[in-house]
Amino acid sequence: MTKYKFTTVEEMPPLAFSLESTREIPTGSWRHVRPVYRDKNSPCHVTCPAGEKIPDYFELVRQKKYKEAWYKILEDNPLPGVTGRVCYHPCEGQCNRAGYDGAVAIHNIERFVADKNFKNRKLPAAVEARKSEKVAVIGSGPAGLSCAYQLSRLGYRSVIYEADHEPGGMLRYGIPDYRLPKKILDKEIKDIEALGVEIMVDSKIGDNVAWSELERYDAVFVAVGATHSRKIGAPGEDLKGVYTGIDFLKELSTGNVPKVGRQVLVLGGGNTAIDAARSALRLGKRVTVLYRRTRVEMPAVPEEIEEAEKEGVHFEFLVTPVKISGSKGKASEIELMKMQLGEPDESGRRRPVPVIGSNFSMRADTIISAIGEEPDLSFLPYSFLRKGIRLFVDDEHTTGVPGIFAGGDAATNPNGTVVNAIRAGKEAAISIHEFLGWRSRSNGVSHDAVKPEEVNTFYFPHEGRVEVPRITVQKSKTTFSEVNKTLTEEQALTEAERCFTCGTCLHCDVCMTFCPDVAISKDESGEYTIDYEHCKGCGICVNECPRGAMELVPEGAREAVEEVEHI
Amino acid sequence: MMEKNVANTKRDGLLHPSIDKVVVIEGTHAASHAVKLARVQVIAAYPITPQTSVVEKLSEIVSDGDLDAKFIKVESEHSAMACCIGSSISGARAFTATSSQGLALMHELLHWAAGSRLPIVMVNVNRAMAPPWSIYVDHNDSLSQRDTGWLQFYAESNQEVTDTVLQAYKIAETVSLPVMINLDAFVLSHTSEPVALPKQEIVDEFLPARKASFKIDTSDPKAFGALIGPEAYMEMRYKLYRAMEDARSVIREVDRDFAEKFGRSYGGLVEEYMTEDAETVLITSATAVSTARIAVDELRSMGFPVGLMKLRVFRPFPVDEVRELAKHVRKIGVMDRNVSFGATGIIYQETKAVLYNAADRPSVFGFIAGLGGRDITPETIKEIFSYLMNHDEPESESVWVSLKTSDADQGARPFPETGAGIRRSEGVK
Amino acid sequence: MGQIKYQLPPDEVLAPGHFACPGCGATLTMRYALKALGRKTVVVIPACCWSVIDGPVPYSAAGVPVFHTAFETAASTASGVKAGLDAQGDHETTVLAFAGDGGTFDIGLQALSGAAERNEDFIYICYDNEAYMNTGIQRSSATPFGAWTTTTPAVSPKAEKKKNIIEILAAHRIPYLATASVAYPDDMIAKIRKAKDIRGFKFIHVFSPCPPGWKFEPEDSIKISRMAIESKVFPLIEIIDGIDYALSKEPDGIPVRDYIKMQGRFRHLNDEQIGIIQANVTEDWERLRAKFAPTRKVSRSRRDESTGENKSSQTRNVTRTKNARKRAQKSRG
Repeated sequence: MTKYKFTTVEEMPPLAFSLESTREIPTGSWRHVRPVYRDKNSPCHVTCPAGEKIPDYFELVRQKKYKEAWYKILEDNPLPGVTGRVCYHPCEGQCNRAGYDGAVAIHNIERFVADKNFKNRKLPAAVEARKSEKVAVIGSGPAGLSCAYQLSRLGYRSVIYEADHEPGGMLRYGIPDYRLPKKILDKEIKDIEALGVEIMVDSKIGDNVAWSELERYDAVFVAVGATHSRKIGAPGEDLKGVYTGIDFLKELSTGNVPKVGRQVLVLGGGNTAIDAARSALRLGKRVTVLYRRTRVEMPAVPEEIEEAEKEGVHFEFLVTPVKISGSKGKASEIELMKMQLGEPDESGRRRPVPVIGSNFSMRADTIISAIGEEPDLSFLPYSFLRKGIRLFVDDEHTTGVPGIFAGGDAATNPNGTVVNAIRAGKEAAISIHEFLGWRSRSNGVSHDAVKPEEVNTFYFPHEGRVEVPRITVQKSKTTFSEVNKTLTEEQALTEAERCFTCGTCLHCDVCMTFCPDVAISKDESGEYTIDYEHCKGCGICVNECPRGAMELVPEGAREAVEEVEHI
Repeated sequence: MMEKNVANTKRDGLLHPSIDKVVVIEGTHAASHAVKLARVQVIAAYPITPQTSVVEKLSEIVSDGDLDAKFIKVESEHSAMACCIGSSISGARAFTATSSQGLALMHELLHWAAGSRLPIVMVNVNRAMAPPWSIYVDHNDSLSQRDTGWLQFYAESNQEVTDTVLQAYKIAETVSLPVMINLDAFVLSHTSEPVALPKQEIVDEFLPARKASFKIDTSDPKAFGALIGPEAYMEMRYKLYRAMEDARSVIREVDRDFAEKFGRSYGGLVEEYMTEDAETVLITSATAVSTARIAVDELRSMGFPVGLMKLRVFRPFPVDEVRELAKHVRKIGVMDRNVSFGATGIIYQETKAVLYNAADRPSVFGFIAGLGGRDITPETIKEIFSYLMNHDEPESESVWVSLKTSDADQGARPFPETGAGIRRSEGVK
Repeated sequence: MGQIKYQLPPDEVLAPGHFACPGCGATLTMRYALKALGRKTVVVIPACCWSVIDGPVPYSAAGVPVFHTAFETAASTASGVKAGLDAQGDHETTVLAFAGDGGTFDIGLQALSGAAERNEDFIYICYDNEAYMNTGIQRSSATPFGAWTTTTPAVSPKAEKKKNIIEILAAHRIPYLATASVAYPDDMIAKIRKAKDIRGFKFIHVFSPCPPGWKFEPEDSIKISRMAIESKVFPLIEIIDGIDYALSKEPDGIPVRDYIKMQGRFRHLNDEQIGIIQANVTEDWERLRAKFAPTRKVSRSRRDESTGENKSSQTRNVTRTKNARKRAQKSRG
């Protein structure tokens, strides 16, 4: 009980009435836990290999600040137009809305932002001062482009050596137009060049460019990708009509339509296999994909498999090639063996086991083998540490040879995804920056993300995920024009509204609304202040926060004290 | 002594200039008319015999537009008092009336009204408490509310009812305490007497509109009556105690002012009758006072030096007046129309109590009479005087007068017609 | 449609530093009520938690005048305050009686009925925390079946159903009657504002959870309130003139078990007892739902006929439930 303020009868009012507000009473002393505002990671951000700040750019989208949203993505990824189309978007798999009413279509919004800025654009200037050091990048695929781009942001000049005639690597030669139109890729590569990155095409190291030329650079990033298709290891592989997936797609992308028979068989279950199958379909052929495990184990992006199926690609599961036979040097039949799933292997997938005596044959005039790609590291002048078929690199992307860094499919990116290559390029750029004696500003991102149970779904009425617009199947299977369309602005805004914005305060006032202690106020700039003189630490604000952007910490804990200073 | 009733006012052949008109009305209506004259703003009441005609009359007055007041016809006396408390804290002048059981039901809120220092005025028609059911007079109902912090007045006549209501608002609003005006059931409440009703403008001069020194006010928000700790509760109670102490002089002053304006006085807290040379004085209250006047006149005519003190105000208790009386009388009898079980009549206790620490301490005798409407006649009073004159000291703490009992030791004896056998005075001290 | 957000009136009339327990529903109720009514308001508080919460002498949290009154006199004292203000020519100030369930359902029921029947012109808010909390959690007639209190120990929890105060008040045919919840502040504020504009007696029954009394962690106050609504334990409704029922929010219909399991006061209940509660809730809900007639001519309010002052209810042909749902959605922003 608060002490009565008067000492004598004469000082007291004629009857017991109040003279002051309870504001004078420091009820904060009752508290044993303290609410604090603490932005946390969203699962999408933590999951995104490129580390895109998805909640941040979504907020900009909601505010229709599309340019700023684009800039926000560009901090981590110079190729949103590409990834907005071809990324396997693991972010959506971890989206806290997935288990509620469907993951937010993050992927499509990324594309929307990129496309919204397609015209009249200029990339933001470097964030760091110009440096004198120069860096060589071998390969202009996503890893190389990302590294060179991030280096230029950090103030470095870099030169990309590209063996092919045009830059882009697998983006250009491995991904068909109906998924990634060339104009998108070209635009984004041009943006990078506009920042001062030099791309030297037709410059194959160890071929027309000597390795020794690289010695004038202060660091080298090896990002040559995985361009060689793995051998089937079956007799008849060299017959006419048998292509590798990579070759098949590259031919197509350079405008040389390969000769393909009526009956096309594609071997493999990865994205290259699906790309090849859907491409062959567009050439008007009957296409069957043969895969040695089941659909569940297919490494290709599930949406792509669905699309392929919709368009009429056939699938045969649990089969493996034994022999390709033909006549006149031309393939005409493939002998296959049935498989069954056994114990899980090191990848966690169930291992396919041959069923002895189950061999059978299928007619085929074209066979596309896409059972995996591996890097061609023959250009390297001396032996580097390897991990299997790839270069060994540590977490900093160093190869063990000072100044030589590596990343992307050539090194650390075994599942060959674009976004992982972009991540490798970004991380390598930071490592190079540090190697050159600078301190990186990024300080160990926590990978703890807001969990689904930390989201207060009450605040988010059920609203289904956007239906991604696409051309009709009838049309899509006959043309190489892009299948999926960009979201309309209205769709993008609706979808962006669906985002829980996990872990990032949006100043929605829910904390303030439900404070029984009237201890939360909002200043003119829109920031909240907790009045710890009066907050009793009930925790309603933390519990009610729609997006887990608050925390209760024990009173007196060090972090609490730090937080107070912060606030 | 100022003249106290209309008859006396008119004796000179002229009405006092303050008088608007003289009407013959019941005691209840005497209250109702006073409420109108006092320009009460909120009335809240619940019917109970014999209070009903107070509120029936007020309903008429308000309905006729003769009084601009809100009349809340509540569902209980408890709510009646709560309404009065609510309207009074809002700054309005509030009134209610009740009786007996209704008053008892209000008990909690009588504390609330006084503790909130609200100048509410209430008319209580004194009626015996049930069971057994009785609708007739005694004073146990109001005296049971002795310690609630209300001022208590007991009226002798209908004129006094009217006049006391007017005085009561002035006193209440001066000392910030509520006032209860008691009138005897039927004997006064339903007995018609001539009552001089004063002119409104003179009443307005005497009793201007209430100016609350504190009230709920949205421009100066305060909380009233919240929790308070032991470190300050006692001081708050001391303030209430002081207010009641101060009320004595206020009552006297208001009565003097009233006399100046209206030509009638009631002596302040007490009115004495033939006490100047009296040896034996009876203290009593309410309508029994009029009866006692007759008995005193008779005994005086027989040569007995007897006198009468009318206790007009029970709270605050007229300490000074009783002590002054004690200086020149040998015996004091107190006739209580009430009883405190396990003790004695209540006024008797209080009289003894104020004399115990006084220098002059005559013998004090306690009589209980007239409970539940039992008639108190001049003979009853004379019986009491007989007892007083024949005893030097009380034989018991309570003498139940006119009690139908075979116990010879209990009670007083009838006063002999000739006065024979009654001890004569041995000289006034 | 994005996130649900609330736009509350910005003025914070209630001050911090009050004496409410952490997570107090009654205090949020007061905070919202004062936001809805503004500073030209007088509050009458009988014995209840708020006798303590507002602060000891010489402090007060309310920011508006408060008169503390006796337990059973919220409605009668408020009647007096209103009459007093009226008599002095103040017709602007809103009078609010603010009482707990004990002071409303039990000891104050007579005064409440009296004021309702007289159609006194003030707002009565009952913050219902379903027991005598200020005295230390004793059962009241608002305590639900099966609940533990200190006077209904777990071995013999409350055997009777909660008193239906809403139907009691509806039977008085008061012009405006509503239920509200601290979990839906926009709905509560809209209802209190609506009440403010209606002449006559207005009663708002607010579901106000009590963390220590119901035995749950204070941070769950809002969550539990929400579950009470969603499980149909406490429907959000409005009743005009005691006859015209409207549903403010269509409950999701989550199992009552989910609501019960959040609270220690129900911990002792077995499946059978929970089944009884579910059955009771379902039955009460069906009974209530039958009153939301799909299309019905809604009569004008009682006051409207006599004085023409009441704009609260117009003659209209409406699908009440549907409209109410629309309103609720709209208010969610």
